[in-house]
Amino acid sequence: MMRSRILRAVLLAIPLVCCALAPAIAQEELKIGGIGPLSGGGTAWGLAVQRGVEMAVDEVNKAGGLKVGEKTFQPKLIMYDDQYTAAGGRTAAERLINLDGVKFIIGPIGSPSALAVVPITNQAKVIVLSNGYAREILKNDSGSPYNFRAMNSNIEFGPAMVKWLREHHRELKKVAIIVPNDATGQAILPTLGGTYKENGFEVWSETYERGTKEFMPLLTRMLAQNVDLLDLNSNAPGEAGLLLKQARQVGYKKTIWQVGGPSVDEIVSIAGPLANGFLSYDVFDFNDPSAKAFVEAYRAKWSGVINAQTPGWYNATKILFKAMQEAGSLDTDKVRDSLMKIEGYDAGIYGPVTWGGKSDYGVAHQLLNKFWITEVKDGAPHALSVLTPEKK
Amino acid sequence: MFSTTVLGQVFLNGISLSAIYILIALGFTLLFGIMKVVNFAHGAFAMLGGYALYYLYGVLGLPYLPAILLSALGVATAGLVLEALVFRWFYQKMFQSMIGLLGLNIAIVFTCVVLFDVYERSIPPAVDGVLVFGDLIIPTDRLLVVAIAAVVLLAFWAFMSLTSYGLAMRAAAQDVEIAETQGIRTALIYKLAFFVAIFMAALAGGIYAQIYALSPFMGDRPLMVAFIVVILGGMGSIPGAALGGIIFGFGESFLSTFYGSAVSSFVSFGAVIALLILRPWGLLGIPE
Repeated sequence: MMRSRILRAVLLAIPLVCCALAPAIAQEELKIGGIGPLSGGGTAWGLAVQRGVEMAVDEVNKAGGLKVGEKTFQPKLIMYDDQYTAAGGRTAAERLINLDGVKFIIGPIGSPSALAVVPITNQAKVIVLSNGYAREILKNDSGSPYNFRAMNSNIEFGPAMVKWLREHHRELKKVAIIVPNDATGQAILPTLGGTYKENGFEVWSETYERGTKEFMPLLTRMLAQNVDLLDLNSNAPGEAGLLLKQARQVGYKKTIWQVGGPSVDEIVSIAGPLANGFLSYDVFDFNDPSAKAFVEAYRAKWSGVINAQTPGWYNATKILFKAMQEAGSLDTDKVRDSLMKIEGYDAGIYGPVTWGGKSDYGVAHQLLNKFWITEVKDGAPHALSVLTPEKK
Repeated sequence: MFSTTVLGQVFLNGISLSAIYILIALGFTLLFGIMKVVNFAHGAFAMLGGYALYYLYGVLGLPYLPAILLSALGVATAGLVLEALVFRWFYQKMFQSMIGLLGLNIAIVFTCVVLFDVYERSIPPAVDGVLVFGDLIIPTDRLLVVAIAAVVLLAFWAFMSLTSYGLAMRAAAQDVEIAETQGIRTALIYKLAFFVAIFMAALAGGIYAQIYALSPFMGDRPLMVAFIVVILGGMGSIPGAALGGIIFGFGESFLSTFYGSAVSSFVSFGAVIALLILRPWGLLGIPE
């Protein structure tokens, strides 16, 4: 008798417990699209997008969700591989918009993909926070109404870095720029080459097919040009590492640096001791005490090398979430306007949000992040200088 | 630009590139020559050879020569499972094998993505530094590749030419039915040929990963190289693979140095297209 009463009480309690839990379960899902290379030479960068966004998503969900207006949402990342190509980017964007119903996208990371994605997303009024160094990602016929660039391009960090090099290494006269023969390479050569020329350097350039592993003949060609600086610019980590390794193996002893990337850890992993003395653009100083919380959160979920772009994507996602909260709506027009108004918000990675790019792109949709110049010593990067892009 | 130093460097680069390309192409051409299997999973086996060497030599610290031999043997032995499950269904079925093994390639690559992550990593070099001859420089790791390629090519030739198993393989390659009527157990010969081919692919993959970099996607380029070299030399021809490797290696070295990589790719693929039109059986292949 007693047992059946308990059983009846339990059965009656179940619907009540379900009702009590209902608000949490009823939280709406907020789909965040992610696009980046998850295969091929740029995979480390695609993983940086995926993991950076996931970290921001996890953080929000652990805190009970993202409150936008009267509703609380549970963000969820839907990530697609663009293989660092235009075709891959286009497919990913169309799938995210038409199949998954996504209104906000983080990535792509490379110019070929970003240039293909942006026309589709702007037409669909979908907000994109991308990377990619091509000027046309922001400066295009549509006026980039819904797309922003969440990381510095070489237009932002290039001039500051080359100026720094000119001041610190006056002995360097002739630079070699070796780029892939795709949209990224075509975007980099005129801008970066122009910056070097403005600073008094002579420029020699060469292209290669993305995915190349053997650079010895190309580097022998470079040696015959008597260059005294090799810029690895925006080559994918795998290719930049091999370029550095093989340049040293063919006897190139002069300065090697990278105005682009960044992928210092991956390059050291490939080139080993030959990477010592390598100078690079870097977007994060993992040794800084302020980076401790980020590194611990990353390590709690993943092992191995932390790609330096991961904090940048975490930063971009946090900024997007903040803009949604400030807008009090998921309407993309309102979120876009809100994004522009949150200058001064600090997501904890790069300091207060600053938008720039009006003079270069006609639209101030370029996030200006501070950056570092690092030097590899004993197999590890050490910060030499912290620079800030000029707001113009 | 055409100075003696640059020409010398081009020659040295050509030798080392040819050695790498020959090593990669040998296993590929063997499978085709005997079983008429176009092994699109060749790059995946090369990649597995790279990971095996990474763990045996880079992590466990075995001496280099035992490590590289054991890694190739390990991959070839494990490959016998795939031979029983997948490959044997495609013997003497050239077109089916292309699609089937492309699928196998994708399956192996993405299994490795799950197991090893996608980051490119390096295998510690067996020998370090560079040798300098006047103005000429050659990395010692490339010299080692040339030596290994020479030994492997010689051993491979000796096995095929001087042993009864090699004779049986050549007989099976020429005509399976007649070979069987002569008492050759083709099932066993196919298994042996498969084992040797995967051993070669894994050995080449270990060396390739050590010179360049190791990742689950590293097999794409070796597969393409194997294809070009084998088409140049003649599908199924072992001397053809050696000749194709030399032509492709020296061609790339010369053209990339003097005219850039775009011209090099254009000429290489242009030559393959021209050859397929004018002499589809390749330089040393046999017309069917």
